[in-house]
Amino acid sequence: MATDQRSTTATPSQPPNGNEAAVAPPKKSLTINQRRWRKFKGLKRGYYSFLILVTAYILSLFLPLLVNNKAIIVHYNGETYFPAAKSFFVNIPAIGSIFGSDFYSGESFGQVGNSGEAVYRKLQLQYEREGGSNYLLMPLYKFGPIEDISVDGNDPLKAPFDSDSQGQFRLLGTDDRGRDVFARMVYGFTVSISFALIMVLIDYIIGVPIGGMLGYFGGWFDIIMQRIIEIWSTLPILFIVIIIASLIRPDFWMLILILSLVGWIGPTVLMRAEFYREKAKDYVAAAISIGVPTRKIILKHILPNSLVPIITFFPFTVVGGITALVSLDFLGFGLPPPTPSWGQMLGVGLSNITSSWWLVMVPLSAMFSTLLLTVFIGEGIREAFDPKVFSRLR
Amino acid sequence: MTQYFIRRLLLTIPTFIGCTIIVFFIVQLAPGGPLEQQLMALKMGAGNERGGGNARGEGGAMIPESTMESLREYYQLDRSTPARYMIWLGLFPRPINPVVVKDVNEPFRIGEKQGRLEGAPGNYHVVNASNSSQTLDDWTVEEKILKDGTKRVRVYQKEFSGILTGNFGDSSEYREPVGGLIVDRMNVSLQFGLIGLILSYTVCVYLGIQKALKHGSPFDVVSSVLVFIGYSVPGWALGLLLLVLLGGGSFWDVFPLGSFQSRDYETLDFMGKLWDRAAHAVLPTIAYTIAGFASLTVLMKNSILENISQDYVRTAFAKGLRERRVIWVHTLRNSIIPIASRIGFIVAAFITGSYFVEWVFNIDGIGKLSYQAILSRDYNIVFAFTVITVLIQLFGAIVSDFVLALVDPRIRFK
Repeated sequence: MATDQRSTTATPSQPPNGNEAAVAPPKKSLTINQRRWRKFKGLKRGYYSFLILVTAYILSLFLPLLVNNKAIIVHYNGETYFPAAKSFFVNIPAIGSIFGSDFYSGESFGQVGNSGEAVYRKLQLQYEREGGSNYLLMPLYKFGPIEDISVDGNDPLKAPFDSDSQGQFRLLGTDDRGRDVFARMVYGFTVSISFALIMVLIDYIIGVPIGGMLGYFGGWFDIIMQRIIEIWSTLPILFIVIIIASLIRPDFWMLILILSLVGWIGPTVLMRAEFYREKAKDYVAAAISIGVPTRKIILKHILPNSLVPIITFFPFTVVGGITALVSLDFLGFGLPPPTPSWGQMLGVGLSNITSSWWLVMVPLSAMFSTLLLTVFIGEGIREAFDPKVFSRLR
Repeated sequence: MTQYFIRRLLLTIPTFIGCTIIVFFIVQLAPGGPLEQQLMALKMGAGNERGGGNARGEGGAMIPESTMESLREYYQLDRSTPARYMIWLGLFPRPINPVVVKDVNEPFRIGEKQGRLEGAPGNYHVVNASNSSQTLDDWTVEEKILKDGTKRVRVYQKEFSGILTGNFGDSSEYREPVGGLIVDRMNVSLQFGLIGLILSYTVCVYLGIQKALKHGSPFDVVSSVLVFIGYSVPGWALGLLLLVLLGGGSFWDVFPLGSFQSRDYETLDFMGKLWDRAAHAVLPTIAYTIAGFASLTVLMKNSILENISQDYVRTAFAKGLRERRVIWVHTLRNSIIPIASRIGFIVAAFITGSYFVEWVFNIDGIGKLSYQAILSRDYNIVFAFTVITVLIQLFGAIVSDFVLALVDPRIRFK
């Protein structure tokens, strides 16, 4: 035990290295959170995982401009259009409707006889052939996640690094319905992470206040809620979600809502325990005795002291969210079909397992690396918050 | 101590009831239940017989009200949901051997006897047709006016049977009692579970000790990454990976591609059977147990690390004991406590993961059965699976506490 303590007690008086001691005045000590951030940065595995994942997620928000079957810029008959950006904005809920339809028809760009959406890859070739002033800029990788066998060149079950019948290069092949595996994988990343983040945030928004109140006030409310929590945590959650999903065919937000119905238990239990423990401490008694209002005691005094467990819990909840989404999608009870999702890709992979290895391997690798990176971050955060020298998972 | 466990056992009752109520009501209140499915099938059937011509007609007009009522009675939809729940539990009587009396003046067949109604409408009772002084008390008469105005008289016997008496009802898909089905499939799943449980406990203790002793060494780092993968990735996904890599097709053809045994299993000799079972069991067992195994290993390692810096270990070394004895006797005895107490959770985690793993490996276990039951709206199986999972969870927690008290004599529950 004695060796374990050294790392925590040493830090405040001793700056981490000599260089900084020379720059900063020696009197100024770091706040606890600065120290934690330093320690987290020192844990290379967790820190680099954090950088990689955050960069990847930010990049993935711009995916419609990087990986898409819609052109970024179309210059046709002297006018300039932005099809990718247009469809991106239109598909944002609520504000989308002001932009009108989310695509340009083929005819509006001179693609004769195509009143449906313009096929930009063909259009690009057409403009090059014509050699006029019309031009078109495609994204880096010019296949979308949803376009399937109905578009020319999207041949089913192409192996990775193969070319399709139109001579176009397919980085990671295509699936059984001719959809591009690479495009679906990268879009699946955005979907998975966004889903997990939103879900966890909702869980916290519900769970933290409830848990805090249970721990602080106790009483009958606490006893009743304890029974409810016990019931919820005894139920086979994913099984129940599958039952509900089989009955109502949920969309993205519905699925988040269903999973949050059970997800709030985790933060609630943690916060309850923390508040319960903190409330018994002397500083709270002191605050009460000098007449600090209850609201202030809860928000200003106890809350900052009881956030550590739910912060260290966060990455692991995200892992749980991603896993739940992939599992549900895998069984076909997750997001509605055209949505690019890893679980759905794995489901397709399982039914083609003997012939098309990439249909399993690609989404699996994406999922494994994302989950592993998140767990590494979680481990790093836990270690940064944990005064003990060795790491633990629970 | 005994008091504590008795109290724990009693506390499982409200939790159990709460859990079953939630599942029961979710399923029962949902649209598209078995009655709707049956009606759909009937309508489709009627439509097909007429060459599909008039299938779009109003459903109520095509199916006579008496048939509708029979169906409703069969699915107990003529009763309220709370009443159905109590019947399902076995606290309310369940109508059995129902007979619809077409003409109230004519005798009808009930069981091996002929029965007859006697008394005024609204106050009937059943008597033996050949001896009208003999009242058949065990038959109940139920009268109701249907929506189309006709009167329906039904006699039935009552029986208290529900999940509390071990009666899970019949599967609408397999047309046989759910209890037997579940036991059959449970045997399959349990084989994997038990092998996995024993394996993970033996391996994780050894691996945890080695990792703790060599903390920070390349062995520790490499095995940590593997353990992290096992911890972060769901078991079925790892199973899928192993299936692609080792299950034939694209990479190596080492193990069979799922299912519980080969098709020609019956023709094999004893060693062949044993080998066949083993080959089929390797990948699913890994998938079933990897999550529990990973967390156990990490727990074991940390527990050892924590204990090894304690004074009693230093004392043991100072006495001149060999390292082997200090680690395997003194430290292990104390470090095993958190591991042992997780046994209930590991068992529970195994059953909740079973539907994914069994789906991947195409094993006819309890998980696949219940998953298919959701798809085909076979509610009795869904309920039975929920009941079993909840019971395992509840008793798993108690067993965990019990084991904890067993391995750690210092712990006294109150």
